[in-house]
Amino acid sequence: MIAFLQALILGLLIGAVYALMASGLTLIFGVMRVVNLAHGAFAILAAFLTWTLWSALGIDPLLSIPIVVVAMFVIGWLTYQGTVRFVRGSHMSTSVLLTFGIGLLLEGIMGFIWGNRSHTARTGYTDASLQIGDMFLPVAQLISAGIAVIVIVLLWLVLSRTWQGRAIRAASVNDSAAKIVGVNAQKVSAFTFGLGIATLGAGGAMIAVIYPFVPGQHDQWIARLLAIVVLGGLGSLPGAVIGALIVGVGESMATAYIGAAWPVAIPFLVIFIVLLVRPQGIMGTRLREDAVA
Amino acid sequence: MRKPALIRSTVAVAALAAGALALGGCAADAPSGDGSTTETITIGTSLPLTGDFSQGGENTLQGYEVWKAIVNENGGLLGQQVEFNVVDDGSDQNTIVSDYNYLIGEAKVDLVLGSQSSRLNIAASAIAEREGYVYICPSCASPDMFNRGFSMIFFSQQATAAEQGTAFAEWILGLPDDQRPATAAYPALDDPFSAPVAAGVQAILEEAGIETVYSDVYPEDLTNFDTIATAVRDSGAELVVQGAQFQDGVNFVRSLNRVGYAPKILYQSSSPTYGEQYLEGVGAENAEGVFFSASYTAYADTPGNAEFLAKYHELYGDQDPPEDAADGYAAAQVLQAAVEAVGSIDDQQALADWLHSNTVQTILGPISWNADGTPNGVFLIGQWQGGTAQIVFPAEAATTDTVISTWRG
Repeated sequence: MIAFLQALILGLLIGAVYALMASGLTLIFGVMRVVNLAHGAFAILAAFLTWTLWSALGIDPLLSIPIVVVAMFVIGWLTYQGTVRFVRGSHMSTSVLLTFGIGLLLEGIMGFIWGNRSHTARTGYTDASLQIGDMFLPVAQLISAGIAVIVIVLLWLVLSRTWQGRAIRAASVNDSAAKIVGVNAQKVSAFTFGLGIATLGAGGAMIAVIYPFVPGQHDQWIARLLAIVVLGGLGSLPGAVIGALIVGVGESMATAYIGAAWPVAIPFLVIFIVLLVRPQGIMGTRLREDAVA
Repeated sequence: MRKPALIRSTVAVAALAAGALALGGCAADAPSGDGSTTETITIGTSLPLTGDFSQGGENTLQGYEVWKAIVNENGGLLGQQVEFNVVDDGSDQNTIVSDYNYLIGEAKVDLVLGSQSSRLNIAASAIAEREGYVYICPSCASPDMFNRGFSMIFFSQQATAAEQGTAFAEWILGLPDDQRPATAAYPALDDPFSAPVAAGVQAILEEAGIETVYSDVYPEDLTNFDTIATAVRDSGAELVVQGAQFQDGVNFVRSLNRVGYAPKILYQSSSPTYGEQYLEGVGAENAEGVFFSASYTAYADTPGNAEFLAKYHELYGDQDPPEDAADGYAAAQVLQAAVEAVGSIDDQQALADWLHSNTVQTILGPISWNADGTPNGVFLIGQWQGGTAQIVFPAEAATTDTVISTWRG
């Protein structure tokens, strides 16, 4: 029982970080129907920015999250204005190809600036854990999960309580109708892309503390994040959160009860099963194919 | 309305791809084109300068560059200056196959040197074998490298993976009964090199009666080791032997700390050989007492080591060269010895025949080869002591008489 609870807790803690990172990906798709394959690369970029603030200025990685979030919003906004907006409205394969290229370019830029050696922000709490009976709670993951919950709640508040958030939701439901009621689709899309990358930035800052990282690791993250948003339902923020927790717990349970070789396979198994059984995901909605977007 | 957008997006994608290729090629020397000239000898190699193995790839390239600098300062190879044609395989097996096809078939390099990691060298060496090129690999310890009947491949370290932990296993068995661990755990990266290292130690210790209480392999993409560390803790293993590359080794040590478990003895196959990178990753206090297999020590009194160290420090700073840099340098030394002995670069078979019949003195020590390219030698066992990576076994190569008997002292 203890072992089960331990695996469950570890899965939920890391799942919260996954949820934060996936929320941006599903948000971007929900509004723009853009599958951002560069999402993993942006996460690693955020980790590098966090590491730089820590190593050069001594700023604690988790305390630097507000700085990193703002920086990633700007980077995301500029990326949208410089590239993604040109393919908005095109066939999805075009945005897939474009964002794949952006991911490769980011990998090259990061390797050029920081090198391809492993980096990590090693803090006083990196290896620390709280002992509760026979169980342990990793402090870094615990704090990260707490911050993830706060950021996701803030994101939900922005989406549900602000005019900008309503505009984002309107554009995600029906772009054309949103324009009719006065929503500037381009501005909303740019803001949404920036917001999606910004929330990812918070997750990237946590990566810098929890794991060593190199530029080439972005492909591992995008595979996991795609599985999460597919599981939760493309465009659904609650779905992304639920999907992330399921994947996190699934990885942990697979390692504990099946074998260490299985956790990486879990996201792909998830995609396979979900697409067979419920193609729209846990909380996604199925649209009529003849509906005008 | 769709066509202009499609054109713009196509142009944007092409520009991005070109940018990515340009940045990715920044580490490469300019290709020589026609590999054979009267002035230079071009050596082709594909290395993982990006991707999961980039750490080792960059270090190996350093070793090649140090060797090139020294050789060229001393008049070159056969009186000709040496150039490298380096391409990045991105740690991908498919890419490295294309790379060596390009290097040999299109760029027509004069000679080739191997890549970093067994996983990549297994794929690349098949191309060299097919094309009749001598293939000297600085890090290809997997048994799978040498069971294909190839005659042109040579591993330029002292032992293959299954034997690299032998000296450590023998030390364990030589401990007094009250100090010898009774149980052992073997987590290993599912990799042609890392898993055999752990398996080699496991075979020796199991035969001697040390019970295996945990044994599993994990994929290279795994980043969260908390559950594995929990399982190792729950097994109660007194000895942990991890077949690791680099990041997985660092992550595992961190997870051991988080679960609050410290085995009496900790051995990792590769991670601790990354010097300062390893210390930064796990923390100096957690490196204390960690055993590892090593092909190289900066303190060895081997031919050329002083020169190698001096040039390395000149080019890359004061820190000790990582093992992969030394391995790269040694591989180039082997190639140099063969070329100078044969007196020509035109007959690859002659180079291979010479290597099969002779011993080469390298900064790793003397290396000779069996018919299948496996080396004859004894691997070193190191241990981190007081922030320094010391060699503890075998005695004739030891840099210290001290052996710390427990992890973290």
